Amino acid sequence: MKNLYIKILLGILIVVSCSKESDEMINQSISEVDQQISSTDSSNTTSGTTTSGNSSTNTSSGTTSTNTSSQNETFDRGTILSNYSENIIIPRYTIFKSSMDNLKNSIETFKSNPNSDNYDLLQNDWIDAYKKWQYVEMFNISKAEEIMYNLKMNTYPASKERIDNNIDIEQSDLSNPNDWAAQGFPGLDYMMHGIAENKDAVIELYSSNSKYGNYLSTLGNLMSDVTNSVVLDWSSYKDTFNTSIENTATSAFNMMVNDFVYYFEKGLRTNKIGIPAGRFSSLPLPEKIEAYYYSKNGFGNLSKTLVLEARQAATEFFTGSNSEGVKGPSYSSYLDYLETEIGPTVETKLEEAKVRLDNLQDNFITQIDDNNTLMLLAFDALQTIVVNLKTDMLSNFNIAVDYTDADGD
Amino acid sequence: MNIYRYLNKKQDSSSLAIFRLGFGFLMLYSVIRIWSKGWIESLYLLPSFHFSYLGFEWVKPVDNYTYLIFLVCAISSFFVAIGYKYRYSVILLFLSFTYIELMDKTTYLNHYYLVSLISFLMIFLPANASYSLDSIIRNKSFKLIPKWNIDTLKLMICIVYFYAGIAKINSDWLLEAQPLKIWLTSKYDLPILGNTIFQMDWIHIFFSWSGMFYDLLIAFILLNKNTRPFGFILVVLFHVMTAILFPSIGMFPYIMITCSIIFFEPETHKKILDRTFAIIKNPLNKIKSIKVYNYRNTKVVQTLMIVFFSIQLLFPFRYFLYPGELFWNEQGYRFSWRVMLIEKKGFTEFKVVDSETSESFYVTNDKFLTEFQERQMSFQPDFILEYAHYIGDYYNKNGLNNVQVYAESFVTLNGRLSKRFIDPNVDLMKEKRGFSNKKWITNLEDEIKGF
Repeated sequence: MKNLYIKILLGILIVVSCSKESDEMINQSISEVDQQISSTDSSNTTSGTTTSGNSSTNTSSGTTSTNTSSQNETFDRGTILSNYSENIIIPRYTIFKSSMDNLKNSIETFKSNPNSDNYDLLQNDWIDAYKKWQYVEMFNISKAEEIMYNLKMNTYPASKERIDNNIDIEQSDLSNPNDWAAQGFPGLDYMMHGIAENKDAVIELYSSNSKYGNYLSTLGNLMSDVTNSVVLDWSSYKDTFNTSIENTATSAFNMMVNDFVYYFEKGLRTNKIGIPAGRFSSLPLPEKIEAYYYSKNGFGNLSKTLVLEARQAATEFFTGSNSEGVKGPSYSSYLDYLETEIGPTVETKLEEAKVRLDNLQDNFITQIDDNNTLMLLAFDALQTIVVNLKTDMLSNFNIAVDYTDADGD
Repeated sequence: MNIYRYLNKKQDSSSLAIFRLGFGFLMLYSVIRIWSKGWIESLYLLPSFHFSYLGFEWVKPVDNYTYLIFLVCAISSFFVAIGYKYRYSVILLFLSFTYIELMDKTTYLNHYYLVSLISFLMIFLPANASYSLDSIIRNKSFKLIPKWNIDTLKLMICIVYFYAGIAKINSDWLLEAQPLKIWLTSKYDLPILGNTIFQMDWIHIFFSWSGMFYDLLIAFILLNKNTRPFGFILVVLFHVMTAILFPSIGMFPYIMITCSIIFFEPETHKKILDRTFAIIKNPLNKIKSIKVYNYRNTKVVQTLMIVFFSIQLLFPFRYFLYPGELFWNEQGYRFSWRVMLIEKKGFTEFKVVDSETSESFYVTNDKFLTEFQERQMSFQPDFILEYAHYIGDYYNKNGLNNVQVYAESFVTLNGRLSKRFIDPNVDLMKEKRGFSNKKWITNLEDEIKGF
């Protein structure tokens, strides 16, 4: 008898000791199964993209979440990812890429012919692309993460010294991390609104010295190149993304959750409002707003528009809405499935944050000088959302982070 | 005099030998595992700040010499396993492992505490009496040892299980099935079971209740000779399951499985050892066998054991001394075998105020803490206080005057919507670290009934 027990136990122990290695194998086999499943269900979601209004109209009636939670015992997280990639991420990249193409063209036009009309064209395209950019900045995954797309596109404040120097020495290789603040949208902002204090003076510089046009063109080409490579990557990465739903530190599902939370905290809350409002320093730092030179030299104001667009982008992502407001499976509906009140709570707070942001002046520099309290109130409105995302949402998703023995025991 | 008869009872020494072998090799593996995962660097060398236990602030990583501590721990584990210079080895194992544990509170785990306690107990047990290198070298082995030797180890394991069981008798665990509801639902990626039964409410309830009964009863099932084989199969199945479901509990399942081998009869232990050592039977056979191992100072050791176990039995109940909800304020939570009981996540930022200029700003935590430290700090009050003092001292030294530190802290517990955790109007620099009640922790405003 005892021998038998011992043999059984040894057998079990061997199985366990192998289970560490076999974890990965299990995951692989899951994703194979998932691929089969999702190839069937992505076929109906892809049909959803072509007739996107149609496939989700039944869910768009606003009761998406309650439907899923009450009728199903299970939830297919793959549907969140395919909704995200097919109805939000890829369409948003497509929209951004076309704005980026326009911007690149108008840069070349202005470079070869720096006049007032071409300047206006360039400025309009810069504003348009900068707004569209707000909808893709949070997708820091796959190629975007690998090439540090975000940092190359939108590290602000721009470094005046670095750019002046780069123009002067006609630097075209901007791969050094110190050059992140010398390129992208903030770089263009400086090249259009910072090198001189008014439009005529800026145009004059471009007409008299080809170094400016060359650097402008370098920036346009770099932004266009990295954008193209990220967009291209998504056409192949999409299938991997849609099926990578395991609860592991490296699955697309978990990385995307972390990206979203990170973006909301740092990219939106901290960078756009917190730092300029002086929340992380003794004094406010208005020179750290997004699109600083545009406001500073009186060309116009964009910072408020950009933060509102970013809030809108985060809202759409959280609720799984495409650009037409049609909703699909999302973090919000998953939180409903998990029988929590977090989804509606966050959605309400996102609306309250919009009100706080709407209350701000268009010009953040004067807003900070005149009445920084309103900036701080807007910060608090975003802060309370960060709390829900980082504690409640992450707790209920129980997202696996890189394993250190911890948590619980 | 029953008690004297009991204290004079003898038992075959092979029980201790097999425990020594299992424990030693498992510890050796644990150290190798920590080392190979790069945790010595990421947990002890990279962080610029370490969370300390009260009174043990002097226990810190010592740069690259930290590797040396782990090396000492590994070698002493190996020596314990083979029973070489046993007494010295096990003292070194206890000291080095406990030192490692005290270096940073962030890595606190109940089973690491258990390892420290067991290695402490083993200092006083003649676990090298037989089947050891020591007995070959000295050319003598002891066939019998006092029965209470084995029983101290059994008692230790029983306390761990039983107290873990008691801690599960609470309304969150039994009625809400929390935190298992959150944890099991998130295991949707396990084959077959994950996205099917692990999503079902009744399964969460079932797992919670059976987990509680397992912890409460397993000690008795193992103690009873008739139910023991069944009990051991339960132990293995239960811990294997937890190992698969909760990879982050690390070595815990294997430590518990190994430890519960001690519950088998001495004859079984002897049989296993004799078969295992059949290969090197010769040197062991030649050893002169002395019948009984006798302590030189039995009374002292026995008194020590009584004190040790009295503390073990009482210490976990110290939370009665604090008002408020234990799971929320965690006053008296650690070192009490509360295993896998709470799912807690926090978000905590600190406002630093220069009290002379009244300038203020919020600190970005990643300036001082690793991600892991920040995660652990964010929901544990003693971490929050210690870190607040660290920040305050840092800015006092770096240009600010008479710094005040306030916490913006929000925590979610077992699926409850997050709420404010620390009174935002309390200057934490004015609060002393210590065992007195932390009045600056908010109330949970919800009652968790039970232990």
